[in-house]
Amino acid sequence: MRADEDVLRGLMLDGLGGDAAAHAVLLRMLVPVLRGFYRRRANGGDDDIEDLVQETLIAVHSRRATYDRERAFTAWLFAIARYKMVDHFRRVRRLHPIEGLEDVLLAEDFEPATLARIDVEELLGALPAKQASMIRATRLDGLSVAEAAEAGGIGESDVKVSVHRGLKALMARIQGGAR
Amino acid sequence: MNTDDLISRLSQDVPPVSRRAVGWRLGIGMALGGLVSVALVALVLGIRPDLGLAMRGTAFWIKWSYTFSLAVAAVVMVVQLARPDSARLRWAWLLVVPVSLLAILGVAELARTPPGEWLAMWLGHSWMICPWLVLALAMPIFVGLLWSFRRLAPTRLRAAGAAAGLAAGAFAATVYCMHCPEVSAIFVLTWYSLGILLAASLGALLGPRLLRW
Repeated sequence: MRADEDVLRGLMLDGLGGDAAAHAVLLRMLVPVLRGFYRRRANGGDDDIEDLVQETLIAVHSRRATYDRERAFTAWLFAIARYKMVDHFRRVRRLHPIEGLEDVLLAEDFEPATLARIDVEELLGALPAKQASMIRATRLDGLSVAEAAEAGGIGESDVKVSVHRGLKALMARIQGGAR
Repeated sequence: MNTDDLISRLSQDVPPVSRRAVGWRLGIGMALGGLVSVALVALVLGIRPDLGLAMRGTAFWIKWSYTFSLAVAAVVMVVQLARPDSARLRWAWLLVVPVSLLAILGVAELARTPPGEWLAMWLGHSWMICPWLVLALAMPIFVGLLWSFRRLAPTRLRAAGAAAGLAAGAFAATVYCMHCPEVSAIFVLTWYSLGILLAASLGALLGPRLLRW
């Protein structure tokens, strides 16, 4: 099964309905996604990364009531993941972010960035599902091509082609819209 | 503990979650705190003896509508900030509406009153204690909200704390209406709002420490 928005959201909704099996599958599918997310952003040892993954899984489990069924699951998930990273970093002071902590901290409250992200989501909505989810995975969620391929259950070259075609279509769309 | 074991353990406890779970949690926290505030007004401060009579006049309802609508607008913020993906706040402008309406009433009231009485009208009889009493009555409601937040997932802790303080302050002012005999709009606009702002500032100050999870 592919760990994309629709699948994860469906599992989350079943879990919220009381389906323990769906909830277990969801948590298991989140492990590689979260590992990828933290590996890209935090330059810690594997123990640190695994601590963060576990903390986030616990938060996803214990705070699942705060998921709004009308909204994107991945946005909720990564908001928690980001919060846990900043919190963990503040406490442990052992993780050294690669991309610069200030980006992480500022991006939290940074409205234009969020608005831009919402625009991006709208644009992505117009693309075929595979292209949109591969762009989301590699360009927004920070997965590597290999991780995105694994999460999506497709080949690496397929990921690259999807991202390339998707971006090209988006460029054409934006330029067409500007004219 | 290894991650697989953790997941098996977590998956043993998966009760169904109501769609309104966040709202209920916040509502219960505020209601419990609110009851304590009402009890404090009734038992410690005392309910104004002419409350029945006052409730037939407009001044009481203007005051009450101001504080209550401000509280509702603050709760709209709290509900959004209780979720992790709260980067874009909606409906924040609602907070401005009660303040603007009361300011218009205040100006109209000043225009009707001779300037010599303005100061007395503005300070009333209780300007020195009014903000502090509102702040004190806000504390039980704020604590109730802190309890609510323990199961919620705020990621903007300062904003969430400020919104919780604002909601607590505005509800406390609504409760305080049962005690306070002041009638002028500019009194309420200044001293009630000051008490509410104190509660919101305290919330913003404490939020990052108390709301961590």
